[in-house]
Amino acid sequence: MAEEFEPKIVAFLCKWCSSAGSDLAGVSRMQYPPNVVPITVMCSGSVSPLYILSAFNKGADGVLVSGCHPGDCHYIKGNYYARRRIALVKELMEYIGLEPDRFQMSWVSAAEGIKYTKIIKDFVNILKPLGPQTNLRRSQ
Amino acid sequence: MEKILTKKSFPNWIAKLATVQIYAPVVKDDLWSYEVVDAAGITTEYTNAIQSPKKIIFPQRELFLEFSHNDNGSPEIRELLPEDKESIIFGIRPCDAKGVSHMDKVFGGDFEDSYYWKRRNQVTLVGVGCNTPPSPNCFCTSVDGSPFSHEGLDVLLTDMGDNYYVQTFTKKGDKLVNMSKGLFAAPKPKEKADLESLHKDAETKLPRHLKDTKKIPPKLKGLFDSEIWDDESMSCIRCGICTYLCPTCHCFDISDEITSHSPLEGKRVRTWDNCQFPDFTMHSSGHNPRPDKASRLRQRIMHKFQYFVEIYNNYQCVGCGRCISKCPVGIDIIQVLEKVRDHV
Amino acid sequence: MVNLDDLKKEALNLLKDEKVKYIIGYTEGSNGTSAAPAFIKNPEDTDKLVWNPGCFHNLTRFLRDEKKRKAREKHPDERPVGIVVKGCDSRAINVLLQEKYIKRDDVFILGVSCESTGVIDEKKVAKKLKGKKAQKIEWDTNRNLVVTTEDGTTKIPADEVLAERCVECPVHSPVVYDIFFGDKIKRTTDAQFKSVEKIENLSQKEKWDFWKKQFDKCIRCYACRSVCPMCYCDECVVDTISFAVTADTTAEEKAQRIKWIEKSPTPSETFIYHIIRAIHLAGRCIDCGECERVCPLDIPIRFLNKKLEKEAKSLFDYEVGFDPDQLSLVSSFKDEDPEDFIR
Repeated sequence: MAEEFEPKIVAFLCKWCSSAGSDLAGVSRMQYPPNVVPITVMCSGSVSPLYILSAFNKGADGVLVSGCHPGDCHYIKGNYYARRRIALVKELMEYIGLEPDRFQMSWVSAAEGIKYTKIIKDFVNILKPLGPQTNLRRSQ
Repeated sequence: MEKILTKKSFPNWIAKLATVQIYAPVVKDDLWSYEVVDAAGITTEYTNAIQSPKKIIFPQRELFLEFSHNDNGSPEIRELLPEDKESIIFGIRPCDAKGVSHMDKVFGGDFEDSYYWKRRNQVTLVGVGCNTPPSPNCFCTSVDGSPFSHEGLDVLLTDMGDNYYVQTFTKKGDKLVNMSKGLFAAPKPKEKADLESLHKDAETKLPRHLKDTKKIPPKLKGLFDSEIWDDESMSCIRCGICTYLCPTCHCFDISDEITSHSPLEGKRVRTWDNCQFPDFTMHSSGHNPRPDKASRLRQRIMHKFQYFVEIYNNYQCVGCGRCISKCPVGIDIIQVLEKVRDHV
Repeated sequence: MVNLDDLKKEALNLLKDEKVKYIIGYTEGSNGTSAAPAFIKNPEDTDKLVWNPGCFHNLTRFLRDEKKRKAREKHPDERPVGIVVKGCDSRAINVLLQEKYIKRDDVFILGVSCESTGVIDEKKVAKKLKGKKAQKIEWDTNRNLVVTTEDGTTKIPADEVLAERCVECPVHSPVVYDIFFGDKIKRTTDAQFKSVEKIENLSQKEKWDFWKKQFDKCIRCYACRSVCPMCYCDECVVDTISFAVTADTTAEEKAQRIKWIEKSPTPSETFIYHIIRAIHLAGRCIDCGECERVCPLDIPIRFLNKKLEKEAKSLFDYEVGFDPDQLSLVSSFKDEDPEDFIR
């Protein structure tokens, strides 16, 4: 029997909220799919669109950018910038014919371990039927 | 070998040739381009393709080797050569074929580039001469070429109205004609005379001219530090159109493309490179000996009309006019060369 | 109508009075329809200036070169550079001012109005001429292109030969200038994003197939980047020099530097190059359409930038190049920015 496709997710997590949220999920022994490669960044606002595309280029099937809730940014307004920028990336991806579902953004605070696990579970469920991402992957 | 092929039998001949892969100019997305076609898609009526067929023999990306770590952790390297596949480039213009013969010199000589020659040896060049200039910027006669030059060609077709006058110059070319001997007739003396006058006539139709090209290489020698390059390059935007479309430009870069870091996997590839790009001459120290667009324009002109002439005794320009037609800001190599020639 | 003699006279005076260093304008090109950029230093050369439907170049691109040149000089000439700009180009100046790339005193702007027309699409004109070479082109007063060839003159309606960007242009005349030439005609377009909507209406697969076919043609000559007045980064992600090397950079560090995009024109790399360029121009592109015009393989690059222009307008109510004092699109935000896509 063929193995079930397990998507690889690259998650850019803000150090102050989402990364701490994922830690909370871990230390609380919550169960969630092991498909995520977390990368801690100083702020969701520091995630360049190039990081996102590069992740797809280097083999990610899905990319998640997660930051603090509006108003909670450690740097006051980084997540607001991220919100704008990522809206544009999402629109452009859709326009080019890439599956927009492969790219998600979320607000996860340091207290929201449960939300983090749910987001990952949902994301994996969305990605499984889509299959491997090959359009932007450097392979040839 | 010289033969006559009627236009009626032309499709029959093409059908015979089509046992191997044929590249020919076709309209793709409104632009002429050399693509793999089937016998029915072949025409001899076309303008200059945007890109010369150099990309078939010297592709923009050539795989050299594949490397990986095997299970024991030791490296594994596999050479990748172009596949064994005979092909014909049908309808290459005499100028583009001359460009190929220039590249032969560069990739031949003391060190033969196996990747280039593997492709080169498998391809037969069937040229179609230019009764009328295929581009408004053709100037082949000014750089030792002609609309019916056979340099680099295996076969040359001349459109004589109802017939094609077929000339072959190599064994590869003979083979193509011998494949369907019955279709070809021997030329009559009148047809030979017609051919000659047609060829002469075509040379007078060239739309652009550069006089006294011979004077340019010696003149260039003294112009390395001239202000002429600053003036001529003012409007240059330093894109790579002129060189990437040129049928003789052959500079390349070799890089390793990693597709996986653990376990390590990747390919070593050769890609076209371009003297008009800032990183072309960038040293790892951060110093760039060609720091501005003036020095890069100078390099393009000097390479084509001085260095190449010194080494191979040929201009590295075949007069196809692509760099003139496609330059976004109208830099015209003929005008630049005229200024060089008349510089005092 | 723009009076060319006025333009020449002003240019002459500017140079004579030594008010400007030189003037970037248009002159006769070598192939009939297209004008060519001209850099005029001597007053007597101002006679070479032209203004015609083939003046499609966005000359603000050359302010990049001017800035670099100035930076290299020990005692730079502080006088401004005279520059001829159309409506779209003037918005580029506003963006450069907004980003503090240039100062207002660096340029003396000779604004020319496109009035009821604009510039031509060379390819459309070439099709109409069927191989004949144009000797002269101009607009008449009834929105016709008058083309003179060796066989005489022909009239072609403007809408058949105008560049697509001019059809979709919302400004038509310079929004920032020192001297204005021509008439300020108020023109509105109801089709500002028509080209984008054509693609938006495709299915996801059709969109991908469309772009795949287009980008497969790309030879990575970077003409789109080179011609763009906004692509002024000293180092671009596609250049392999995007890495600071100092005396103590080790070989290992050099080997491990990040190569964001490979040189190979493979689909993945070419897509990423074009997507990144589009994103980088979000809220900065003023739709001069030069990237699309210069592309030797006719890739409709402009559709990408235009899409983001549309989104900036519809999502964030942001318009580019009208106000040099506004904050840039991606360094500003509003509380009510959409976030329905965020989980």
